Amino acid sequence: MASLREIDLPGIGRKFQLNARSGDRLVIIIHDDGKRELYIFNPDSPDEWAAAATLDDEEARQIGAIIGGVIYKPAALEEMEVKLDQLVIDWYKVEATAKGAGKTIGELKIRQRTGTTIIAVIEPDHASHIAPGPDQVIPAHSTVVLAGTRDTIKACKRLILNGSL
Amino acid sequence: MEHILLEVGLAFVLIALAGILSLRLRFSIVPILILVGMAVGPHAPRIGVIDFRFIVSGPLIDLMGRLGVVFLMFYLGLEFSVGRLVRAGRSILVGGTIYMAVNFTVGIIFPCLLGWPLREILVAAGITTISSSAIVAKVLVDLKRTANPETELILGLMMFQDVFVAIYLSLISGPITLGTASPTKALISTVLALSVIAALLLSGRRLMPLLNRWLNIPSDEVFLLVLLALLMGTAGISEALGVTETLGALLAGLVLAETVHFERIEHLIAPFRDFFGALFFFSFGLRIDPLSLGGGVWIALAAVVLTLAGNFAAGILMGRRACLSYRASTNIGLTITSRGEFSIILADLARSGGLLPVLQPFTALYVLILAVLGPLLTRESRLIYRGLSRLFGWPPGKDAAPYKAERQSL
Repeated sequence: MASLREIDLPGIGRKFQLNARSGDRLVIIIHDDGKRELYIFNPDSPDEWAAAATLDDEEARQIGAIIGGVIYKPAALEEMEVKLDQLVIDWYKVEATAKGAGKTIGELKIRQRTGTTIIAVIEPDHASHIAPGPDQVIPAHSTVVLAGTRDTIKACKRLILNGSL
Repeated sequence: MEHILLEVGLAFVLIALAGILSLRLRFSIVPILILVGMAVGPHAPRIGVIDFRFIVSGPLIDLMGRLGVVFLMFYLGLEFSVGRLVRAGRSILVGGTIYMAVNFTVGIIFPCLLGWPLREILVAAGITTISSSAIVAKVLVDLKRTANPETELILGLMMFQDVFVAIYLSLISGPITLGTASPTKALISTVLALSVIAALLLSGRRLMPLLNRWLNIPSDEVFLLVLLALLMGTAGISEALGVTETLGALLAGLVLAETVHFERIEHLIAPFRDFFGALFFFSFGLRIDPLSLGGGVWIALAAVVLTLAGNFAAGILMGRRACLSYRASTNIGLTITSRGEFSIILADLARSGGLLPVLQPFTALYVLILAVLGPLLTRESRLIYRGLSRLFGWPPGKDAAPYKAERQSL
């Protein structure tokens, strides 16, 4: 799970290390002189970074605003719930670590167990399957569009994430 | 013909050129300043009005060099914080203790084998034990290793060494400079140092609000003047009392480090430290006749070999204890071998105490070699690890990631 570690680098600045849910490790160094460095490590070689970028203070603030969603809010985060009385339509991005990733809708028995209907599966390459059948696989990193009530949708997300209720 | 300003001006030109060269070569300025100082001096030629011997201005440059030590020691005192060290965590305390146990022991045994007297042994042990935290931090930034897992431990060790060197210097600077001539004064200075440190630890919290209030001066200009008065006053009084200005400056730093103004002080004093510090390293080189270096060659080479071995062993032990890979541990052992400012300060202390003259060329060579070799070994740690992993059967490092930054800095 995501963890942020913060540690002093005496004489240099401060180090922030994020082990993201996606498995990526991101290290941000804030130098005392205002310089920022970003490092990305591959999970299989923790001793050597795979990519790096150096930013000055102004650039870093800009990037910070972009990542924080100040400049452009990702569609997925906008008030996506469309309420029609009890009916709720929601989007859900399937994480790589989700237990349900790679299984079919039928295997997970989503409708029987939660009462939610998957009305579309959008794969990472934007190929979309509208009104999918039970043999439709839910790939990792895909986005599923769910229709149900608030509670059934919550249950469905839990089911995809944990593989069980 | 006395052109004292011309001579001082020439010294500044040389120092500035050394600085530019250090930037170009991406290299520490300290060894370059020493080399430049060694190249000129009393044995150097005189070309027209340009006098490279620095005879007229010699005493002035010496004095500014002494001020350099005062500022360097004051800064060391300011940075001193046991609290920060404790907060840094167990692995750094354990790692630092391992490092000291290995390297300080080697540092004591080596001059013993040479048959040096006690004061020389204490100085030599300090010279070979203390890494250059300035070079280490710079190399880590230049090689883009700040994000590596071992870097936290390396920088923590530098902090540990800074605390160690502050305590060590405050204990030995009296005995070293006064020594056998006046053992009572030497004892007084050590007792004084210990009592100031003890007073800080015990009643610092009650005294500090008072000092905080006194130093609460809004104008930067007046604040700086008060600061310099405090620093120079303490250094001067210590000199007059015969307890060495080095100790006075260090203790002044220790006291002011506890005030709320410490960041402001650091910020204002840093340019003075850089300026007078550069003059100190230059004047250290000035005093060394390149022809006298021969006397220290074999001692310096032996010390370099011992330092490399001791630091490497300590690096592997520390790294493995902190659950780092052999690869990262190798990086530790190689990175911490750089030597610089503190070794020179100790040698200067030995000079003012009238200790064996061979300490001067020995330290100059030792620092010159390790200030070059240390960063070089750090940069080539991957190759070295590959060789060692075959020798010791350590797991081979992954070569997946290109070391772009390292190639650029070659």
